[in-house]
Amino acid sequence: MKTITVAVVGNPNVGKTALLNEIAGTNLKVGNWPGVTIEKKEASIRYKDYIINFVDLPGMYSLKNQTAEEKVTMEFLLKERPDLILNVVDSTNLRRNLYLTIQLLELEIPMVISLNIWDEVIEKGILIDVKKLQKLLFSPVVPTSAKTRDGIIDLLDKILESYENKRFVQCEHFETNFEQYLKEVINLVDKYKSVLLDVYPKRYLAVSLLEGSFKDSIPPVLSEEIEKIRKKIKEIHRKDVKTLIIEERYGDVLSIYQQVVKKEIENIVEHSYYLDKIFLNKYFGLPLFLFLVWLTFEVTFKLSSPYVDFLDKTLSVVSICIISFLEQSQTSDFLKSFVSDAVIGGVGFVLTFVPVLLTLYMIISFLEGSGYISRAAFLMDKFMSFLGLSGKSFIPLLLGFGCNVPAVYATRTIENPKEKILTTLMIPFMSCGARLTVFALFVTVFFQNYGGFVIFSLYLIGIMSSIIVAFILNKLFFKTKSDIFILELPPYRLPTLKYIFINTWIKVKAFLIEAGTFIFATSIVIWFLTNTPFGVKKDESYLAKISQTISVIFEPLGFGNWQATASLFSGFVAKEVVLSAMGNIYIGEEIAKEEEKLTIKEGLNKIGQAFIDANIDVIKNFASIFGFINENEEGGNGNLAKYIRDSFTKDQAFSFLVFLLLYTPCLATVFAIKQELNSYKWMFLSIAINFTTAWIVTFIFYNILKLV
Amino acid sequence: MKRLIDLKNGYKGKVVEIQANDILKYKLYELGILPGVDIEVVQLAPFGGPVKVKVHDYCLALRRPEAYSIIVEEQP
Repeated sequence: MKTITVAVVGNPNVGKTALLNEIAGTNLKVGNWPGVTIEKKEASIRYKDYIINFVDLPGMYSLKNQTAEEKVTMEFLLKERPDLILNVVDSTNLRRNLYLTIQLLELEIPMVISLNIWDEVIEKGILIDVKKLQKLLFSPVVPTSAKTRDGIIDLLDKILESYENKRFVQCEHFETNFEQYLKEVINLVDKYKSVLLDVYPKRYLAVSLLEGSFKDSIPPVLSEEIEKIRKKIKEIHRKDVKTLIIEERYGDVLSIYQQVVKKEIENIVEHSYYLDKIFLNKYFGLPLFLFLVWLTFEVTFKLSSPYVDFLDKTLSVVSICIISFLEQSQTSDFLKSFVSDAVIGGVGFVLTFVPVLLTLYMIISFLEGSGYISRAAFLMDKFMSFLGLSGKSFIPLLLGFGCNVPAVYATRTIENPKEKILTTLMIPFMSCGARLTVFALFVTVFFQNYGGFVIFSLYLIGIMSSIIVAFILNKLFFKTKSDIFILELPPYRLPTLKYIFINTWIKVKAFLIEAGTFIFATSIVIWFLTNTPFGVKKDESYLAKISQTISVIFEPLGFGNWQATASLFSGFVAKEVVLSAMGNIYIGEEIAKEEEKLTIKEGLNKIGQAFIDANIDVIKNFASIFGFINENEEGGNGNLAKYIRDSFTKDQAFSFLVFLLLYTPCLATVFAIKQELNSYKWMFLSIAINFTTAWIVTFIFYNILKLV
Repeated sequence: MKRLIDLKNGYKGKVVEIQANDILKYKLYELGILPGVDIEVVQLAPFGGPVKVKVHDYCLALRRPEAYSIIVEEQP
């Protein structure tokens, strides 16, 4: 069986991913390019007697070697030399898309062109002469549509055919004079440094040398000779070479366009134009965006929370069943506790993120696929540009207020690696819902009269800290000037359900496999620390001992005792367990669990009932988003409140909250950062940045409060 | 001759030249904003945010400084 490597190249927003989804289905794998934070999608399929490996390269407008994405692409195309290029083109936007196509031809790799989004071409009544285009580009051209699945089989057949032909016809698309210059350059290279001809495609090399690239790898003689040609061109054409080359390519594109696009109905209703009049409106645009964000937020967390509860119930039933089983077989208490708390607790912790991630990814995939994400970036750009970021960072940061984990994954929509890293490092400072539970308890104990103000100021401290940190990081690590911001506003399109589901599924799967294992493993380690030596009192566990040692560093912040330290330790696993851990640590005994026994059949019944309840809750929650139902929930933590009142002064309580707000985010966030940025360096740096910031900010606040 | 940023909403212009450093200039060129090409300001973002322009048959968002560097000849 033969294996064909196909590089999938195209402009952003041409439906490349949707097409690949159609071709490969769930065979699509998402990862990262080595060493960088750029997403790499790969898919391998069997077709007729071949294995076809598709490698999806980052979307780009032209072949250059400047940004990280461009470097990844060029490196792959030039060094790995794929057997074939699949150039995905938006057939409703040929004038822009064909520029890249012309450049790709310079690489001398056989190419198949997919005229994608063909369904819209038919709908709009545009006529494109495919055969003519094929002749002009010397490459097979196949109309395709991810929506209607048209042309997919044809495309695969053309890929096999081109692979077997192995014929690459170089079309000399520049004007005669210019082709002559290119030949001169090639002859010069042959004379002075012919090795280059073996390494690089001839035409690409000649164009690059004329443009002034590769200066370091050519001998001075060659450099001088090329400079002569460059001068000659400038004299004759009165333009610099780079401009001339770009103009030549565009001239080509326009002439091809005119020959190939036969009938274009003018004045077709441009729904995008009118939608933008609403969504980008000077006055309504921003409020509408903020409303949509709020809706995303509400839907994500309200839709997922019943399923989180359902998972909780299911796991507790499973845990009871297992314990009942273990009891029959006379296992030790330690093992029972390990299985029910550590193993099932750990699995449960990982699983509780799944409903949130599923819902959020579906919404984000929709926003991305529909083209709205670019509009959001357009509206928010001004506000984010002060931090050296662009509008795209806003959504992930905002999602952070719900839960940091999906927020980190939402940075996927940011293409620029620098922006992505900076945004990711800012996310943990956004106070998530889990932190709010701790704030709420403390506020009812210490700050009843001005509770709202305290909570509001905590959120504000988080935001301010993130801005200061971003500002400093920008100066320290990313000294480069703020990048040029040019954003395409693609036409609004309705993404297919398949696109949404496949995208969501791949990402949730990646979370479970990559981050999930780490979170699970670490939570088990923490369980061991809190519960061993087994059977001793809480203040003699390893955790208490470690906390005692560490607590010294919290002395200047006002809470240098082991209890507070150990509570913070548990907060590293997850902020939502801080309260139960505090109950454990401060009160000293676990809230007595009901001893239940269940058979498997009873267990299944319970799980079934819980699932039905969850679905009912979803409907209720949906209703409550739009204000039909008012919910009131109040947890009872009376006992703990009493202990906390005795252990903290007001100042200490506030300083504890500030620290809890800012210090290292939960495990899940930490590993999400590792997965998303593909680097342990940034993961540890993120932990360090949060910890130091938390310490410094808390120190400042504690001392100000002491003075007042 | 005007700067693109000074074009009123919905007015068209022909690009005359781009007064910017090479990186920006070539980037705009490669996106199809070349001398001689028709360009139209479609919408402006609030609070001095980016500008939505139309070239050929696609729309791009440029920040104000970038839009400032594009010199156009206004067309009726």
